[in-house]
Amino acid sequence: MTEAIWIVAEREPARINPVTFQLITKAKAIAQGKKVVVVLLEAPDQQFEQAISEYGPDEILLGQNAAYAQASDEVMAAALTTLAKEYQPNAVLFGATPLGRSIAPRVQAALQTGLTADCLDFFYEEDLLVQVKPSYGDNVMCEITCPDRRPQMASVRPNTFAAEKVAGTTPAITPVEVAQTTGPQGRVVDETVRVSHATGIASANKVLALGRGAATPADIASAREIASRLGASVGVSRPLTDLPDFTVEQQIGQSGTTIAPDFLLNLGVSGATQFIVGMTQAKLVVSVNRDAQAPIFAQSDYTFTGDAAAFITALKQRMN
Amino acid sequence: MAKQWTPQEQMLLRMTSEFTANEIAPLDLQIDHAGRYPDGLFEQVVATGFLSLMLPNEFGGAGFGPEVTAEVVRRVAEGNASMAATLEGHYKTVYQMLKYGTPALQAKYFPTAGQRIFGFGMTEPTGGSNPMSIRTTAVRQGSDWVLNGNKIMITNGGLAEVYCVLAKTGPQELSVFVVDQDMPGFAFGKRENFIGLRGTPVGEIFMNDVRVSDDYLLGQVGQGGEIGDSAHDDACILMGAVLTGIMDHALGLATSYAKERKAGSTPIGELGSIQRKLADIAMGRETTRLLYQNAAARHAAGQPYSEEATMAKAYGSRTAVAACDDALQVFGGYGYSRDYPLAHLIADARALEIAEGTVEKMRAAIAAEELAK
Amino acid sequence: MKIVVCIKQVPESNNVKFDPVTHNLMRGGMSGRINPFDKNAIEAALRLRDAVGGEVALLSMGPDSTAEILRDGLAMGADSAYLLSSRAFAGADTLSTGYVLAQAVRQIGNVDLTLLGRQAVDADTGQVGPIMAVNLNQPQATYATQLTANGNQLTVVRDLDSLTQTVELTLPAVVTVRAEANTPRYETPLHIQQSFEKQVTIWRDTDLALDPAKLGQTGSPTVVRKVYAPEAKTRAQQPLASEPAAAVDQLLVIMQQHGLI
Repeated sequence: MTEAIWIVAEREPARINPVTFQLITKAKAIAQGKKVVVVLLEAPDQQFEQAISEYGPDEILLGQNAAYAQASDEVMAAALTTLAKEYQPNAVLFGATPLGRSIAPRVQAALQTGLTADCLDFFYEEDLLVQVKPSYGDNVMCEITCPDRRPQMASVRPNTFAAEKVAGTTPAITPVEVAQTTGPQGRVVDETVRVSHATGIASANKVLALGRGAATPADIASAREIASRLGASVGVSRPLTDLPDFTVEQQIGQSGTTIAPDFLLNLGVSGATQFIVGMTQAKLVVSVNRDAQAPIFAQSDYTFTGDAAAFITALKQRMN
Repeated sequence: MAKQWTPQEQMLLRMTSEFTANEIAPLDLQIDHAGRYPDGLFEQVVATGFLSLMLPNEFGGAGFGPEVTAEVVRRVAEGNASMAATLEGHYKTVYQMLKYGTPALQAKYFPTAGQRIFGFGMTEPTGGSNPMSIRTTAVRQGSDWVLNGNKIMITNGGLAEVYCVLAKTGPQELSVFVVDQDMPGFAFGKRENFIGLRGTPVGEIFMNDVRVSDDYLLGQVGQGGEIGDSAHDDACILMGAVLTGIMDHALGLATSYAKERKAGSTPIGELGSIQRKLADIAMGRETTRLLYQNAAARHAAGQPYSEEATMAKAYGSRTAVAACDDALQVFGGYGYSRDYPLAHLIADARALEIAEGTVEKMRAAIAAEELAK
Repeated sequence: MKIVVCIKQVPESNNVKFDPVTHNLMRGGMSGRINPFDKNAIEAALRLRDAVGGEVALLSMGPDSTAEILRDGLAMGADSAYLLSSRAFAGADTLSTGYVLAQAVRQIGNVDLTLLGRQAVDADTGQVGPIMAVNLNQPQATYATQLTANGNQLTVVRDLDSLTQTVELTLPAVVTVRAEANTPRYETPLHIQQSFEKQVTIWRDTDLALDPAKLGQTGSPTVVRKVYAPEAKTRAQQPLASEPAAAVDQLLVIMQQHGLI
């Protein structure tokens, strides 16, 4: 029997999370002869198998049940556990989304195997899946393996790999039926797709980012004035979300919003790793900081070592 | 010699530093510019238990001693001197109520001392350094006392709900009574518009036939002068801590700026003229710290500490003004901007050359102690 | 309601460095702190206790020095603390850790709710909560932002980034808490003093009902075979003029060249 790499499809109310497609493309690239199999548990009317097919997996294990429309973690994990015990995949991959990271460890515990969280890369060495995971807020990379137990399990960070459609392939669709768990389980009473209010910085072409070095009321007021003249949005580093002016909605970074503007002006932002993770896609980056050693400078096209407030004042004057 | 903090004290101080860094320090300029604490900040100081940290356990306090209490004040002052001065005004009042209050008075006020702030009223509009010239009176009526008068320049005046007030009970007799805002005849007056410590409310109270029982007399009739002196000594230790915190703040700003700011390609911190200023600030900070900590240690050990406490404030206030002035000079033009803290730090420190007795008066007191030896 | 909050000691800072010679991780000072998300879990527990009554116990696994973070949690207002400390636990990955913590929850007994932070900021796995839930045969709600208790029912709002989900759990259950759930209180002076009067109960491996095959490295399927510093990608870092006004002029020219203004 050909061994399989499983990808657990992440179903949102109205779509498949793109991380699933990214994982299919990546898994196909490293499969080394293993079958790439997507496990899709959906309500009968959802028919997400068509969207998944476009990315060219070898097979889709399709479990359809009305209960999957709004299923608890317990229901999803129990079904996946049952299937994994039956089919014995070599590896099981999840998107490292909140949902994936909730269900995967339940399956892991039930199967008594290893699970690596939030991987940034993975590849096979013979039969061993080497999983590359950041630690300490992305300051350290670890290679983790699960030598003795199977399946090898990992959750993989979204948007780490590109998803590529494959023309003219038709995966085998294998219907599976799983008896629903009768164990203790939560009852999902409501699901609402979140409307992001962070459109300001997430989609902005120009962003002014304020950090601890530009946090006085005067700095903030001036920065807003400059931003409105430039047609830019104002974002902040995490410490500034404590100020009454800002919330996590304006926060740039790993725990906030990832931004990809054409122009980013960092004012008094030191460049903690978690901030930098959220801005690496910015095109032109200019940073102002008092500390010549501030990590933000390494991520900047242009630098100004000096007081952010003075820079803001000068910029505001020039704008007028 | 540096005090070894107990594990409990270490945890208290770490919490204080975190609280100051997260909740108070970011609002430092805002507090100065607005002349008040932003909504919710003082409430959070209260909710976190700062008001009762030195109150004994039997009154629901945490029972921390004078030395660590002063260190808490210093750390708060490093973030914002106004808030530290508010704590100072409260602590010195609670200390006197602990030392001189009747059991009935303590039972009435201490269970809530962690939730509401106290103040001490000495000064009156007619001024004068002779306490006997005050006009507030307390007159016997039956078994009660009836207070009439007006007190100004009270730290936390208006914010505080409970006040110790110095009153004349005879032509040459001073006594201290406790009144609160809920008593008939008690009223608040205006708040001062000071140039520094702008967050700390300093205000006025009026007493118009405020009637209290003997339970509200602190200590004995005629002990008012002694109680006033005791409040003064406790205040001076805590003001030494406030001043040290102000200098810590100024030194931190000046050193980091001196490392970053360049003259040509050289950081200005490598210039002798700047280094001399930084060294002077550091020496001023350190000597003031040693003075107030010594006074606090003597207080904790039950030794007399009046002269040492007076020195901490008298020396520390002028030293802190000079230190902040030096720090402003390091910053050059930015230092003179109200968008930077140096301007208000000088004004904050300057307040303590006057509050709780002018430095001139304090020098006279120190000299008198020395002459008497 | 009897609530257990599992907390983890994490390094004071994530700015870890590598030894330039051995390339080993230099963990720096031994001092640690409570994982920040765990403070949200403690806060959630204290609020539930204040709302419906009950008690809050803290549970952590680690060397004896971990007692310090348990003390911090007690100073926030928790009622009791348990420390699982044994050489047999060393080298445990999430599977083994979740198993041991679950056995400790069983031993504490009559626990209605087990709370954890959404993940630890050092390893960032977020796996221990769900693993405990499986070991305890309980339902879970991860990434919680709201918890409302009503008898033996708990209604939890989960923030799943793209989705907000409301789930009803019949207790006992396991819940992991997001930072958005609350603002953790500070330790208070009074609770600090009281925390030193409370006993931290230390349990060794022999104090719990444990399968030796599930402990430590033996019980951990995963192996960390290599640790290294990520490659740093850097940009050009061209300095602007040293005076703000001149630098601003340069910036505006650069922006014009890029068609930004």
